[in-house]
Amino acid sequence: MYRTLRAKPWLSLLAFTAPALLFYAVFLLIPTIGGIFYSFTDWNGLFRNYHFVGFGNYVEAFTSDSRFVYSLFYTLKYVVAIVILQNVIGLLLAVLVESRMRTKSLFRTLFFLPNMFSVYISTLMWTFIFSTVLPQLAEKTFLHFLDQPWLGSSSMAFVSILLVSVWQGAGYLMVIYIAALQGVPQDLQEAATIDGATPFRRFIHIVLPMIMPAITVCLFLTLNGSFKIFEVVYALTGGGPGYSTEVIAFNIYQEGFARDLRYGYATAKAMILFVIILIITVTQVSVLKKREVEA
Amino acid sequence: MRKSRLFFSLVILLLLIAITVFFLFPILLAIMNSFKTQGEMFKSVIEWPKTLHWDNYKYVLTEAHLPRSLYNTFVITFLSIVGIVVCSALAGYKLSRTPGKLSSAIFFLFLASMLIPFYSIMFSLIQISTKLHIDGSIYRLPLVYIGLGVNFAVFLYHGFVKSVPRELEESAQMDGCGQLQTFVRIIFPLLIPITMTIVILDILWVWNDFMLPLIMITNYKSYTLVLLASTFFSQYSNEWSYILSILILASLPVILIYLIFQRYIVKGIADGAVKG
Repeated sequence: MYRTLRAKPWLSLLAFTAPALLFYAVFLLIPTIGGIFYSFTDWNGLFRNYHFVGFGNYVEAFTSDSRFVYSLFYTLKYVVAIVILQNVIGLLLAVLVESRMRTKSLFRTLFFLPNMFSVYISTLMWTFIFSTVLPQLAEKTFLHFLDQPWLGSSSMAFVSILLVSVWQGAGYLMVIYIAALQGVPQDLQEAATIDGATPFRRFIHIVLPMIMPAITVCLFLTLNGSFKIFEVVYALTGGGPGYSTEVIAFNIYQEGFARDLRYGYATAKAMILFVIILIITVTQVSVLKKREVEA
Repeated sequence: MRKSRLFFSLVILLLLIAITVFFLFPILLAIMNSFKTQGEMFKSVIEWPKTLHWDNYKYVLTEAHLPRSLYNTFVITFLSIVGIVVCSALAGYKLSRTPGKLSSAIFFLFLASMLIPFYSIMFSLIQISTKLHIDGSIYRLPLVYIGLGVNFAVFLYHGFVKSVPRELEESAQMDGCGQLQTFVRIIFPLLIPITMTIVILDILWVWNDFMLPLIMITNYKSYTLVLLASTFFSQYSNEWSYILSILILASLPVILIYLIFQRYIVKGIADGAVKG
């Protein structure tokens, strides 16, 4: 047996990769090809037969599905807000935590904790906070400003969604930024201090360029993740009030499972999401990678 | 100079404490109120519970069949992780060690799939899983997780193997060790650090996953913890005392894992990000 394997490296390559390739092919590759295929059909979860509709689904999504177009722009708004917020806060947390001596690991442990919870479960905790706790706090204490329609008005619901997302995700980025900060050589900072640079200028001119690779990664992670946001909206607002907080993933889910089970059409929408993520993340990574080299 | 530095340090400490309050607030309130009766909660959710009222937990543990969901979640997570590690370690090692077009093509295939959103494959995945009789069975659902999880794990193994010296395996093969035997005895033990990273990242993913169980598991007997919480939320939408105790119990295992393996988790995430 091994004589043949050693004589033919490609055979042993296939033998070692076969189990991974098998699972990958059945549950990821074929469904992807199937998804592309079905996005050009009127496949419906209720019936066996389907017909080709060409680009019909794609045209419909952009021209006559105002709810989808709304969810597209709403997701975009969310992505811009959350990518900035998460990264600024994640980096700020990292800097604050790193500045402590003895309490460093305690604060890191605490800030990272929300990340361990299932997104769905922690969103339910927040639903409890918004629906029950904050109204009572506003009523019974001096914190009257907490009396807001947290989930009831579309503008406050957006704030709530951002709040929960930051709560869940900032600690993850913090951990990556802490690792990057620890890689900044100490002597560079000391040299700058001797030259009279303020902490703020040291941060802008020395630390930021040094942690550029981490920024590239974190921007990629937040961009890629935030376009796919689902659980927070599903558990917190259910897309409401009305459909004002409906994001793309939720729109797709509703199309496929709640409304008319139009699997083909829902898949076409998901392919649009895929293309958007692909274009934006590839652009982001290639632009920032160039920056890294220059720095 | 010294005084201003002390003042600065104090401001940062206060800021950190304020942030801590924000991060712990929902968790603390969820725990507090899971020990209250519905009536007590109605009076005040912000006070400490007067007595520790365990009935919510008792109810959830008996009536809601929480232990069964705990078992289901455990089985699904365990089988998925074993499968992902075995398949990916074999593939990542061999792909990294074999030069050539076929090898790069296979690696590219894994790599290219990492950006695909789950929603794009969701509907055809359901169709294929129905044909294969996955049926949301806790023993067959891990197959889907393996399929979705191998790409990233292969990628991490592939990168890590580059730093493993070749001499050991070459001398083992000289001594007449077969390829598989060399892998099991010599290579895999050297891959433990990256395996830890993969195991941790995948436990967090599978244990906490909501979407796949939501669309795949229809039988109440196969419910995972997160799915159980979801059903409870829709059934008892205002009886928060029950819902909260489920949320706490469902999160307890991962929190325990976090407190024990914190160092590895934090390192795993930083490493996974840098390599990803």
